[in-house]
Amino acid sequence: MNNTEYIPIAALNQYAYCPHRCWRMFCAEEFIDNQYTIEGTSLHERVHTLGDSNREDTWQIRAIYLKSEKYQLIGKSDLIELENSEWYPIEYKQGLKGEWDNDELQVCAQALCLEEMTGKSVTTGYIYYAHSHQRQLVEISEELRQSAIATIKSVQNLLETGIMPTATYSKRCQGCSFYNQCLPQVAEKVRRYQEDI
Amino acid sequence: MGTVYITQEDAFIGKVDERLNVKYEKKTILDVPLIKIDGLVVMGRASISPATIAELVNYKIPLTFLTNKGKYIARLEPEMSKNIFLRSAQWKAMGESTQAIHVSKGFVRGKLKNYRQSLLQAQRRYTELNLSAGITQLESAIANLAQATSIDSIRGLEGAGSAAYFSCFNQLIRVENFQFHTRNRRPPTDPVNSLLSLGYALLRHDVQGAINIVGFDPYLGYLHTERYGRPSLALDLMEEFRPVIVDAVVLAAINRRILVPTDFITEPVSNAVSLTKEGLHKFLRLYQEKKQTKFKHPVMQKQYTYQESFEIQARLLAKYLMGEIEKYPPLVMK
Repeated sequence: MNNTEYIPIAALNQYAYCPHRCWRMFCAEEFIDNQYTIEGTSLHERVHTLGDSNREDTWQIRAIYLKSEKYQLIGKSDLIELENSEWYPIEYKQGLKGEWDNDELQVCAQALCLEEMTGKSVTTGYIYYAHSHQRQLVEISEELRQSAIATIKSVQNLLETGIMPTATYSKRCQGCSFYNQCLPQVAEKVRRYQEDI
Repeated sequence: MGTVYITQEDAFIGKVDERLNVKYEKKTILDVPLIKIDGLVVMGRASISPATIAELVNYKIPLTFLTNKGKYIARLEPEMSKNIFLRSAQWKAMGESTQAIHVSKGFVRGKLKNYRQSLLQAQRRYTELNLSAGITQLESAIANLAQATSIDSIRGLEGAGSAAYFSCFNQLIRVENFQFHTRNRRPPTDPVNSLLSLGYALLRHDVQGAINIVGFDPYLGYLHTERYGRPSLALDLMEEFRPVIVDAVVLAAINRRILVPTDFITEPVSNAVSLTKEGLHKFLRLYQEKKQTKFKHPVMQKQYTYQESFEIQARLLAKYLMGEIEKYPPLVMK
């Protein structure tokens, strides 16, 4: 990969959710909306309007570009805040806290960018769940950092090679907007299928 | 969800907000939300506004132009899918590759098995028919298919099987005033052939729509490769659907006396036969109803409409070519 090719932060989240989905979105560039993604998009349209404001002692900046040269990351933040000279990223999500930790990876990747951009270490981040109006604390632990860095490497490899990860069925497939394209159960169905004479 | 067919000569196809609005002599004759449309077919002389074309592209609704007799003219597609991996797999398999032979056998096997199935059903229903010779010939073509080692020999078996089926086709017509002798086209010169040709043109629009959605290059086929500029892959994937959808609709239209001889007109000199406007409406309605009919997909083991099954077969083909599944299962009806 040449130095101008950055990894979209959003791809990390998708990769952690399902490598095959990540491939469809970022390598094959397919995208089909379903109910969940449409709700998510309109939420982000509201969030992604550049602006800054103050809330008590907190400086809030919305919708700015995040970038890390070290990790070759690029993305857009929903919201970053500065309070008591500490920076932290806040990622907006539709619905309730998911069963998967992919959102935390995304916050961690934003934190890595923010550290590089501000020169200060970032130790916490938040995920804001629109459905419950609750913020959930994400501790940017060493473990989460390592896991984010490993995911960055995997995504980098995926984008470079374009090799399609296998579509494997799991509980996650039920809410996935790609279900009807990737048909994760079909390989098994075809294997069992006996054609009529 | 469905395909909208515009058959009114001189109709004006426009859009109002996010709705398709069709006018004739300044009166609205159709007004449907674009979100409910998954294909637009314009038959004959109608005009369409540039804003509507832009909106169709935006909604990824394919637009097909046919003559008023159903002959294919042109097609407008939304931007090509960026899935270069699938197209690359499709091109790598071209020619006499193992994969090309496998899928070609699948298309032909699906078609011939479905031909056989409809003859068997007719034989059970009408014991006085004599379809056994045709059924036997189809069975031998199906059996020989397994041993075929070249695309040409698959084409040969496809030809033999189709000939066997069409030699029985007249017996499937249960009314006095229609007859079928042999398949003829360009132009079809009898009512039955004109219905078959029209039905296959409509089916091609639908199948091509499905293969475009999946991201194939429609012009690279395996079984149909002989002529430049034909959507060969659509013609390939159509094979298994021909008897199930088009032939079934044609026979239903005739045998249920929905179409009668006065629904057809014959051109002088050329003897080209086509439907009257009223006949065309009746036939389009039947075709549309058939596509919306649900059935249990033998591989997926779930209810789908025939319309949905076009895309499923295209996805199965994609998965086979991409190496995700071991075989291509054609749609074989029980």
